Amino acid sequence: MKNGTKNIIKKELTRVFTDKKLILSLFILPGVLIMVMYSIMGNLIDNMVSDIGDHVPNVYIQNSPEGLEDAIQAAGFKANINYLKASDETASVQDSIKAGDTDLLVVFDENFMDTIYAYSGNGDAIPEVKTFYNPSEEYSSTARDSFVNSALQAFRQTLLAERVGNVEQLQIFYIDKVPESSVVMDEGKATGKSLSMLLPFLINILLFQGAMSLGVDAITGEKERGTLSSMLLSPIKRREIVNGKLISLAILTSLSAVIYVVSVVIGIQNLQGGSMGDISKLRFSPVELVQLLTILLVLVYLFVAVVAFVAVHARTQKEAATYVLPMYIVVMLASIMTMFSGGADKGIKYFALPIYNSCLCIQNLLVGELTIQQYGLTIGTLALLAFLVSALVTKAFNSEKVMFNA
Amino acid sequence: MICINNLTKVYKLTRKQMQEQKTKKNMKKAVDQLSLKAVPGEIYGLLGPNGAGKTTVLRCVATLLKPTDGSISVGGIDTLDKSEEIRKKISFLTNEIKLDPQFSAKYMFNFFGRLHGLDEAAINERREYLFNYFGIKGFEDKKIDELSTGMKQKASLAVSLVHDPEIVIFDEPTTGLDIVTARSVTDYLKLLKEEGKTIIISTHIMTEAEKLCDRIGIIIDGRLVMEGTLDEILKDTNTADLEDAFFELYKQNSREEACI
Ligand SMILES: Nc1ncnc2c1ncn2[C@@H]1O[C@H](COP(=O)(O)OP(=O)(O)OP(=O)(O)O)[C@@H](O)[C@H]1O
Ligand SMILES: [Mg+2]
Repeated sequence: MKNGTKNIIKKELTRVFTDKKLILSLFILPGVLIMVMYSIMGNLIDNMVSDIGDHVPNVYIQNSPEGLEDAIQAAGFKANINYLKASDETASVQDSIKAGDTDLLVVFDENFMDTIYAYSGNGDAIPEVKTFYNPSEEYSSTARDSFVNSALQAFRQTLLAERVGNVEQLQIFYIDKVPESSVVMDEGKATGKSLSMLLPFLINILLFQGAMSLGVDAITGEKERGTLSSMLLSPIKRREIVNGKLISLAILTSLSAVIYVVSVVIGIQNLQGGSMGDISKLRFSPVELVQLLTILLVLVYLFVAVVAFVAVHARTQKEAATYVLPMYIVVMLASIMTMFSGGADKGIKYFALPIYNSCLCIQNLLVGELTIQQYGLTIGTLALLAFLVSALVTKAFNSEKVMFNA
Repeated sequence: MICINNLTKVYKLTRKQMQEQKTKKNMKKAVDQLSLKAVPGEIYGLLGPNGAGKTTVLRCVATLLKPTDGSISVGGIDTLDKSEEIRKKISFLTNEIKLDPQFSAKYMFNFFGRLHGLDEAAINERREYLFNYFGIKGFEDKKIDELSTGMKQKASLAVSLVHDPEIVIFDEPTTGLDIVTARSVTDYLKLLKEEGKTIIISTHIMTEAEKLCDRIGIIIDGRLVMEGTLDEILKDTNTADLEDAFFELYKQNSREEACI
């Protein structure tokens, strides 16, 4: 690297890192904001899930047969249970279920046990248990499922045992005696799958955001303040100045991106047993890691060059912000598109679309399905574009029209 | 040595600029067929009213702008040829070019010293000398942002001289300075002259031109209307002092505003 470039990089980094306000506004504040945002989002989802689990349902049971209470106890079904007599009115209870105040009404036929004991074979009456619940209420349907599958099941089991003696004879076969052991999945891949929805999108927009806020200040800002021309007077090539600017911006952008991504991860991790899965379960092979890092690096350089191109042509920072907005929207759209359509099954030609392709690549990488052609094409197009744009930036730096409005 | 041959500089105006300047032409000829020569060991002064084209000429000399027509050679090199080589030899000071407000004068001095390829020892020695001369020592570690206009000007001056350039191009170097500081600047320019440097400055202060400059070029509306030593100019215009001479020339040459 040329000496001039090195000196400029050093100065640019010093400028940012000796300015407490800049550090605060560029790195710390957005990081904390992102973390808090995702924590709150996580907590809300979390609360919803655990709230349903914690809720003690209100249940009414009419004509409760003898032995049901024991079965409820044995099955561990927890509820506030009110027992009704045959003469009690149930219409008001049903209204209350509709309103969401009561969760479940269970009505046993009158003389339920007698009918069962009277059973002697074909054609004899079989009694009914009728449940009333509200499927539009999360609590109600959960209470009903739980009551039917645990308490009633246990009750029926005991009655069966009484009637036939050996219940095993009726069992015929078991399904999943140990349910946990039937789940077969690669946890890394499962985590990757859920992350692959969100992460490429986040990476893209956060990187661009970083490049945007840093680049506009470092280029349009300097132009406005008249400090850029002092550099143009030094005996180094404009190309070196541009390189110095772009590289320092790329370093700062990468840093901000790392901070943002870490903040997102910490935020999401706060979501207990997170629906995003455990990020530490993600495992990259060394090759995959290199692939990920190179994609990110080229992407950062491209973003920085694009922002620099816009920033150098703008006369004021406000103007620059206006020009850069459409670019931001394009980046966002390209990233959002990949959120809803998987990458693996996409044709190779999609990997020639800059920005969109980096999203696809990261998606495929997270689920371990990135092919070398896809990777090569992506890196190639991104690098070519970055090179072209940075050449245009150098051209702008050489233009007196752009630099001095002349 | 600075040789300007038939320099013409035309600015293309944007629509907004055309409105601001109330003109229908989308071109502004800021410098028109201007030729001059500044040699080592002399101070050449460009004297002219606001908007005459002084800054434009000096920017062209400093390689920041390219001539629309004509040519400029600085230290024997054409400005279109190897502009980096020229920038090694020159110091250019103008009030639109500023030092980074977040850094101290010391940091800026060292930074530009390095960009000029000087080693640390040379930079330190040079800094000691210049900061002492211009009285910057006392605030060398303060951010440029926190300095007064004059202090900033002094810092810019010192930084522009970090590499001990053989050609010095100063655009209105004393504007905004109090008389004490202004005097230290003009004294330093005389010192540089004695060292055999080539110096070109612009000014619209008559006394400065009279006292400091060995030769004076009067520029009006982008054209060099007269050039010579103070005595030659007074003789040619048949006047008693530079101010009278200037007004005489202004009357003759100002195109549209001839009524003043
Ligand atoms: N970037 C530009 N675009 C268009 N016109 C310009 C530009 N810079 C200067 N001009 C015009 O060129 C002419 C000469 O300007 P210049 O700055 O060289 O004058 P000057 O002699 O330095 O004036 P002053 O004493 O006010 O500094 C002016 O009419 C000015 O309006
Ligand atoms: Mg001027």
